Amino acid sequence: MSAQNQEIAFDITWISNVQVNQPAVLRRAEQIQTRRTVKKDWQAAWLLKAVTFIDLTTLSGDDTSSNVRRLCYKAKYPIREDLLKALNMQDKGITTAAVCVYPARVSDAVKALKDAGCDIPVASVATGFPAGQTHLKTRLDEIRLAVEDGAKEIDVVINRSLVLAGQWKALYDEICEFRKACGDAHLKTILATGELGSLTNIYRASMVAMMAGSDFIKTSTGKETVNATFPVAIVMVRAIRDFYWKTGKKIGFKPAGGIRTAKDSLAWLSLIKEELGDDWLKPELFRIGASTLLSDIERQIYHHVTGRYAAYHDLPMA
Amino acid sequence: MACRDTEPGEPARPRPRSPGSPRALARPCPPAAASARTGPGSPPQPRLSPPRSAPRPAGSCPFLGPRPWSGRGAGASPPAGHAKGQGTPLLPPRGPGTGRPPRLKETPPGGDRDLPPPPPSVRLAWLDKQGSTLGHFVNGKWLKPEGQEPVTCRDPCSGELLASCLQADDGFVALAVDVAGRALEAWSPLPGAARAQHLLRLAETLRRHQKLLWTLEAMASGRVVREVRDGDLPLAQQLLQYHASWAQTQEQALSGWEPVGVVAVVLPPAFSFIEMMWRICPALAVGCTVVVFGGPASLSALLVAQLSEEAGLPPGVLNVVMGTAPPETLLPGLPGVAKVAFSGPVQEGKALRRALAGSGADLSLSLGTESLLVVTDTADLDSAVEGVVDAAWSDRSPGGLRLLVQLSAYEEMLWKLETRLRRVRQGRSLDWAVDMGTRGPAAWERAQSYVQEAQSQGAQIFQDGSTPPQSPFFPPTLVLGLAPASPCAQAEVPWPLVTVFPFRTAKEALAMSNGTPRGGSASVWSERLTLGLDLAYKLLMGTVWINAHGLKDAAAPVGGCKENGSAWHGGPDGLYEYLHPVGIPPRPQGPPQLLDYDKFGLSAPPVLPSGTSPASATAPYGVFVAGRFQNPSSRSSRPVLGSGGRICAHVAEGGAKDIREAVEAAHKATPAPGWASRVPGSRASALWALADAVSQRSQELAEQLVEVTGSDLADTRTEVVLSIARLRAWGAQVHAQGAGLHSAGPHGPFLRLREALGVLAIVCPEGAAPARLCVSHRVQRPFSSTLSSWQDMAGLLPPGLVNVVTGDRDHLTRCLALHQDVPALWYFGSAQGSQFVEWASAGNLKAVWANGGRSRCWDREGEGAGPELGLRAARTKALWLSLGDI
Repeated sequence: MSAQNQEIAFDITWISNVQVNQPAVLRRAEQIQTRRTVKKDWQAAWLLKAVTFIDLTTLSGDDTSSNVRRLCYKAKYPIREDLLKALNMQDKGITTAAVCVYPARVSDAVKALKDAGCDIPVASVATGFPAGQTHLKTRLDEIRLAVEDGAKEIDVVINRSLVLAGQWKALYDEICEFRKACGDAHLKTILATGELGSLTNIYRASMVAMMAGSDFIKTSTGKETVNATFPVAIVMVRAIRDFYWKTGKKIGFKPAGGIRTAKDSLAWLSLIKEELGDDWLKPELFRIGASTLLSDIERQIYHHVTGRYAAYHDLPMA
Repeated sequence: MACRDTEPGEPARPRPRSPGSPRALARPCPPAAASARTGPGSPPQPRLSPPRSAPRPAGSCPFLGPRPWSGRGAGASPPAGHAKGQGTPLLPPRGPGTGRPPRLKETPPGGDRDLPPPPPSVRLAWLDKQGSTLGHFVNGKWLKPEGQEPVTCRDPCSGELLASCLQADDGFVALAVDVAGRALEAWSPLPGAARAQHLLRLAETLRRHQKLLWTLEAMASGRVVREVRDGDLPLAQQLLQYHASWAQTQEQALSGWEPVGVVAVVLPPAFSFIEMMWRICPALAVGCTVVVFGGPASLSALLVAQLSEEAGLPPGVLNVVMGTAPPETLLPGLPGVAKVAFSGPVQEGKALRRALAGSGADLSLSLGTESLLVVTDTADLDSAVEGVVDAAWSDRSPGGLRLLVQLSAYEEMLWKLETRLRRVRQGRSLDWAVDMGTRGPAAWERAQSYVQEAQSQGAQIFQDGSTPPQSPFFPPTLVLGLAPASPCAQAEVPWPLVTVFPFRTAKEALAMSNGTPRGGSASVWSERLTLGLDLAYKLLMGTVWINAHGLKDAAAPVGGCKENGSAWHGGPDGLYEYLHPVGIPPRPQGPPQLLDYDKFGLSAPPVLPSGTSPASATAPYGVFVAGRFQNPSSRSSRPVLGSGGRICAHVAEGGAKDIREAVEAAHKATPAPGWASRVPGSRASALWALADAVSQRSQELAEQLVEVTGSDLADTRTEVVLSIARLRAWGAQVHAQGAGLHSAGPHGPFLRLREALGVLAIVCPEGAAPARLCVSHRVQRPFSSTLSSWQDMAGLLPPGLVNVVTGDRDHLTRCLALHQDVPALWYFGSAQGSQFVEWASAGNLKAVWANGGRSRCWDREGEGAGPELGLRAARTKALWLSLGDI
């Protein structure tokens, strides 16, 4: 993973003049999903590429070490070996980008990945995930403990009340604290866009999170009613582009929640390609947070290789 | 990008280097190695682009000195006039952290190597089945007459031969019109509900064959298939359904109107399928029959005609005639065509207007393709950039774009445009992953010559630079640094070019937008409701979108003003184009007469003193201009002969200078706080006050009329009473002008506004009292023999609102018809005068209503005060409001 982003001074003018026109963004979101249709070999190539962006995630109340271990092995072997061989991609080291779990499961995941013999990073959600409605002190402790357990990436949720109250400087200060607490770990900031009220607020929160030193900005926790949508993503990646133009820093983007089909993942890749460019199409700058997406991609690869649609028992479970 | 596997379409076009291209702007070719496809899982493939021989005559985006951007509105420096003609423009540092996006040089183009290659050629079974040559589709069957020249239809992207079609000659066109005329006898008496069923069946048939339709349209037109599938076909379905519902309720909703008859539809080379649907749907719905004239790019028109036969449309109702001959050589002299709907370039439209003058066929023109986009500094710039893409760098729009950007957002907007421009992907129309196709060699030439001319006038050209030299695709292009006074800036911007002009204030933007002869469509980008709406209201355009561009809906009228012609399609306005009021005989039809346009009404015949003195000396003397009677410039007069042949008054002999002054006075009465911006109530009360004033003098007026016309006093009294009633009635109608808010599905609502025409010139018929004609707009009337008692009424209306010039009708008509600043003219006089007025209207494409020499019974309700007058007296404007932020 690339070097960390460091916070820069808070500049209110970067967010105060923002204009986001929702109907226009919705139209763009509609267009962008249809304009780069890839088929056949190119589809397979794009799907394998998509696998390498996945933060394979389990965030359930009933997570235990056993299913986390299963997940970690799936992260290491995302596509059946014979399918990869048929595509001549078996030695390209295709794994998911990371494994994402609750803080209490970090040590399980770290151990499982070590057993599997790979260095896939473990990402941990933190700061009172998913609502963020706990005291700042406990939220910071949560980060520190997860890092101590071996998490290399921390997905923090922001305090939505600060956004809704317009306290951007306070939001900036909080995320700066998160940044410090992360130490060497990477900071991914979840904006919980479904709860921010407007696209303009989403742009502002994105910009504040990047100024405060986030390495990634992430759409949602997966626990809100509205999760990763294309209009939201367009606003966030435009903020990333503006931040890059202003500072020269490339910030990553992670949509999460509701991305379930291989077709969706292709649309997400083409969105990044169109709005940010090929530079962002690598795991250091683009992730997809998903739990069931991988199995659908594997089914599509199976179909591409064999010409048949797979039965559920044909592919190993996560 | 721009992969081809065959040679581009003939003729081979030269690629001259631009004389004005500065050295520093020439770009070396990208490394060939970059063209290997390196997506995982796919073997590297060689790119199919020919080797580069010459660098592009295109350059890069010039900007001012290095000024790190830090927030919008931070005192941008003026971009005009910089780097003009200098060998090396000052390029600021680029790249991350400089506040500017990286230069194109830093990232080689060809970033789309992960995308699939264009699809192989497709042979359509439908084309193969027609044999080597496509005929015409007339009277429900294919006709391939002997002896007609074949024209080749080629795929503009690959140059492949698709088919040959025949070129119709005069005789064949007459045959097709005759067939349509005979079909009209059965089609127009059908109940509306039956026609609605026909339209719905056609919609169903098109849906069944949509894949063939979109493939054929994409191949023949060079537009990307995705736009045809996702844009044109759903809209065509919507049009058929919308007009079917009008047909269903025709007897109630459109009572008092009847179909005009046979309609000739002339298709433009691009967008022929959807342009055809916009016109044939209303025409068929109201009961007209149609002859469509298509060119080699309109193969889909033939398919639609064939499918209409499959859908059970009676033979002869929809006919398609192919050919490339200009319509002005085919259409005049054809009796039976009641209406010609032309869509195409401005010059061809003007030629057709001149050719059809006096033929009796109504002509509606939708001309020009250029569009306008105004970006204020309160806009969502990223979305505005997408608006630019929709308006010029895609296959959604037929023409280029004039882009006005507020100075304080200018630089940021250009950076964003520059970045976006690189992402536009061009390729074969059947490739599902491209944004733009091509429109053939002629369109390529137009774009290239505009670029070269702009460069020679000091403009900076910005293109992506990855298009190979022999490519049939013209890359998306930005043209910067032209001023409105550059000769190039006055020409229409061709597709896919964007010419950018900075503006300082919204007022200046308005002046720049309205200061061109274009009056088609525009969009306004601002998040400030007050500003966006105000600009949208004040733009002289047919369609204005706020924070969107290019939205279409079957219920939303599309049209224009000024050089775009005054035709409308879609919505109720589109229906009235094909309707004629019941009970009013149509204009006599026939080939235009021989008329010497240079001589018609050139000077007024001299009037010699007759020696008899007028009977009454009460009538005021002079031309009534700017609210007062003044001496005519000719300083001479003409007698008004009464019923017994004796002189009953003298009126001033008006001339060209009087007309000029009258038009100026009328224009002064227009802008705020003028007549048009008054609240309707105030306009109504002014008309009612006029009615009161007339009624106080009704006895005197009636007696004067007796003297002039020799009618009964009882008759003239009735006439005066009717005049007063008309004034009151139109005053009341000021409130109900048919404007309203309409919903258009997910796009948000649109407003249908009825706006004033501006200055309307009316040439009054012989012997008509002025009060008979009264419409709630600025009016200017010359008339040769009438009388007036204006003096005491003059104070009731604002000065200049109504100007009256008397004199020789032909001479005054000539002056008015050739006046470029008169946007509308009503002529009620001789057949020759009508022909002249129609011919002369080609100058500024003024909206003309001429009677063709047929006298009109003004005292009848339908002819003197019917809804037709209301329709003609105002102009429609569609204003799209996009909403939704919740």
